[in-house]
Amino acid sequence: MRYASAEVRKQFFIEMFTRDISLEDCVLDLIDNSLDSYLLKHQISISKLIFGPNGTDPSRQLGTIDVTCSDRQVKVVDTCGGIERKRAMEDVFCFGHAEDDQIGKLGAYGVGMKRALFKIGNKFDIVSQTANEGFEVSFKLDEWAEKKEWKIPITFIEGAASERKAGTSITITELHEEVSLRIKQGGVPNNILDDAATTYPFFLDRCVRLQINGNRVAPRPVQLGESEGTVRPAHESFQQDGVKVTLAASVAPGQRTTEQAGWNVLCNGRAVVSADKTRLTGWGVELPAFHTKYTSFVGLASFESDDPLSLPWTTTKRNINQESSVFIRAKGIMAAMSKPILTFLNSQYPSDPRVEAGNIRNAVEGVRGVSFRDIASQPIGGFLFTASRKKEKKTDWVRFQASIVSLDKVRRHLRRPSLSPSDIGKLTFAHYVKTECAAD
Amino acid sequence: MSEIGSSCRVQYDLRPAKQVERRMIVDALQRLAAAGFPIADYQYTGFGAIYFVDFILFHKLLGMSKLLSLEQQTSLARRVDFNKPFSCVDTKMVPASSEIPNLSRDTRHIVWLDYDGVLHKNQLSDIQSAATILSPGSILLVTVDVEPPEDYDYKEVDPDFDSSKEVLGPKHWKRYFEYHASAFLSLGLSEEEFGKSKLVLRSTEILKAAFTKAIVARPELQFLPMFNFFYRDSHRMLSMGGMIEGRTEKRLLRASTIKDDSVYYRDSFDSPPFEIIVPRLTRKERLYLDKEMPCSDSWVPKEFDLDAEETRRYRDIYRFLPAFAEILL
Repeated sequence: MRYASAEVRKQFFIEMFTRDISLEDCVLDLIDNSLDSYLLKHQISISKLIFGPNGTDPSRQLGTIDVTCSDRQVKVVDTCGGIERKRAMEDVFCFGHAEDDQIGKLGAYGVGMKRALFKIGNKFDIVSQTANEGFEVSFKLDEWAEKKEWKIPITFIEGAASERKAGTSITITELHEEVSLRIKQGGVPNNILDDAATTYPFFLDRCVRLQINGNRVAPRPVQLGESEGTVRPAHESFQQDGVKVTLAASVAPGQRTTEQAGWNVLCNGRAVVSADKTRLTGWGVELPAFHTKYTSFVGLASFESDDPLSLPWTTTKRNINQESSVFIRAKGIMAAMSKPILTFLNSQYPSDPRVEAGNIRNAVEGVRGVSFRDIASQPIGGFLFTASRKKEKKTDWVRFQASIVSLDKVRRHLRRPSLSPSDIGKLTFAHYVKTECAAD
Repeated sequence: MSEIGSSCRVQYDLRPAKQVERRMIVDALQRLAAAGFPIADYQYTGFGAIYFVDFILFHKLLGMSKLLSLEQQTSLARRVDFNKPFSCVDTKMVPASSEIPNLSRDTRHIVWLDYDGVLHKNQLSDIQSAATILSPGSILLVTVDVEPPEDYDYKEVDPDFDSSKEVLGPKHWKRYFEYHASAFLSLGLSEEEFGKSKLVLRSTEILKAAFTKAIVARPELQFLPMFNFFYRDSHRMLSMGGMIEGRTEKRLLRASTIKDDSVYYRDSFDSPPFEIIVPRLTRKERLYLDKEMPCSDSWVPKEFDLDAEETRRYRDIYRFLPAFAEILL
C-alpha cells in the first residue's frame, strides 16, 4: 500500500483559516476566553445568569477586561482568574480540543485565540497568572511558521498571589499591514464596543466590567415587550440532544429602527446572531420577507448546553450551523410563534380604511419592557393580543337646531324668559321621557 | 385564495362528496377511539364557517366537546356567533396562523385546515406550524382546492397579468406553484407537469413535503399518513392528513383495525388517493342497492343498468353517503 501525504501545514492556519473572521470578531474571541476563565473559576451556571435572579452575586468580585486597540497593538488584559499551567502546556495552544480537555462555556472549538492572534499580528506576548502559578509565552509568527515542530516556547513564572489580581494579558504587536490599515481607517474600536454591548448582555456588569480603549461597555440587552392584559409575548421551550432551548417573541417597547428588528440567537448566553431578518431565521421562507411594518418585531432564541459543541454556532460565533438538528427544530417553532405577531403588526395597516386599527396601534405603542427571564417563567404559549373592551357609553349627545319662535314659546309657557336653549333642550327631553316612556 | 369566502359561495351542508369525506373521517376516528385513542377528549379546531357541519358531527358522533372554530373574515363575526350549534363550540375571529401556536401542548388535537382555495404559501406555513407544535397523537388534516389557480390567484404572483390579453395555462400555473411552494417541489419540472390534470399530483407532493419538513425536525416523532381523499362536488378538492405519532401511538395503531377494513385509509401518500365518486342514483335505486350491500366485486344490479365499477364505488361509500330530502319546516 502506498500513502499520499495528508499532513497539516502551518500555512493553512496562518493564511486560510484567518480569512473567515472579521477583526472585530477576533477581538471578541479573545474576550470570550477571558469570560470563560471567569465562568470556570466561579463555576457560574449559564442558566442562572440568563434566567436566575437579576443583579450580581455579592459573594464574587467582578472581573475586569480591558481591551486596547490601536494601529500598533491590540491588547486584552483581564483579571478573570488566569489559565492554569497544565492547561497552557496541554491544551490552550493546540488547534482544537482533545476529547478529555476541559472545555469552557464560550470556547467550543479550541481555535478562537490562535486564529485571533494569527489574524491580527506577528508578535505575541502572553502572560497568565492564577493565584498560585503563572506562565509567559512570547513568540513571533513568522519565526514559528518556519519551524517544523508544532510547539511554542513557554516560561513558568510565579502566581499573582491574590485571586483579585489573577488574570491573563495578551499583547499583539507588529500588526499585519491590512489589520493596521483597517484600524487606521477608524471605527474598529467603536465596532468592538457596539458588538460587545449586544454580544454579552448577560455577562457585562454581572461577571465582568469591560472597557474598550478606556471606555466602559454597558450591556445592551434585546428589548422584549408586553402589556398586561393586552399583549402577551410568545414563549416556547424544549430540550434536545443535551441542549436546552428557550424561545421568546413579542413586540418590542419604545421607538425602534428596522436595524433592531428580527430574531436574536444566543448560544450559552452569548449573542451569535443579532436582529436577523434573513432566511436563516425563516424570513422570506416560512415567514413573509421582512418589511418596515414589522419593525417592532423582536425574537430571542437561547440555546444552552454544558457541551458547547452541541450548540448550533459556527466557529466564528457569528452565525448558525444550519444543519444543526436542534436549530432545525427551533427554527420551525420560531416561525410558528412569529406569524401571529406579524399578523398583529400587519393589522395596524388595514387595506380597508373603514376597519378600526387604532386599538392595535395603541397596543403596539403601549407595550412595556419585560425581561427574557420573566417571559421564560411563564407557561408555554403563543403570542396573544386581547383587544381592550370599548367602554360602554353611558351618555350621548342630542344636538339639533330649533327655531327662535318655538324656543320663545317654551320660555313664555314656563315664564322664564332667560332660559338658555340648552336648558330648554334638557327640560323638554326630560319631560318627554317622564311623560311618554315606560319606567325601566 | 378567492375574494369571497366559500361560506358565502357554497351551500356547505349539501355537498355529497364532502359529506362522505366527513363521515369517513368520523368512521376513522371511531376506530381510533376503539383502539384506545381518547378521541372524545381531543380538541377539534376547524373552520366551521356559519354551518359548523363538521362540528355537529364530531360532537354528536364522537362525543368531542372541546371544539374551536376559526374564522378570519371579521365581517361574519355576528353570523358565526349566531350559528354556533352548541355552547361547547368556541369561536375565534382570527386566522389559523394566530391560533396554532396557542393550541395546548397538554391536549391532543384534531386540526382540520379545511381551506377553500388553491395551495398558497400561507397554508403551507400553517401546516408546518401545526406539525411543529401539535402534541403526539394529534391528527392534522388539510384540504385544498386542486383546480388550476384562477385570475385573482395569479394576480398575486404577477400583478401585471391582464386576463383580457392572456389566458392562464400551465406556464402560469407552474409560476404560481413555484412562487408559493418552490421549496416543496421537485427540481426540473416542465410546464406539462403543471397541466390541469397534473395539479392533483403536484399538490399532493407539496403537501407531503410540507408535513415532512416540519416533522423531521422532531426526531422522536413521525407523521403517519392516514387520509388522502380526492373528490369533486363543484371544484376538485384534495384532503390529506395523518397522525403525529410517537412510540405509544405507533403501538396503539398497530393493534387497531383501521388499516385492514377501511377502504378509504391511506398509510402512504405515495399510493393514489381514495377517490370519492358519488354515483347519480335515484332514491329507489339506492334502496335496491342497499339491500345487497356489501356486495361481492362482480355483483351488479339486475333490475337496472349500473356497471360493476360504479357498483363497487357505491359499495365503498354507501355507509357514508347522505340522503338529501326537502323538509318543509
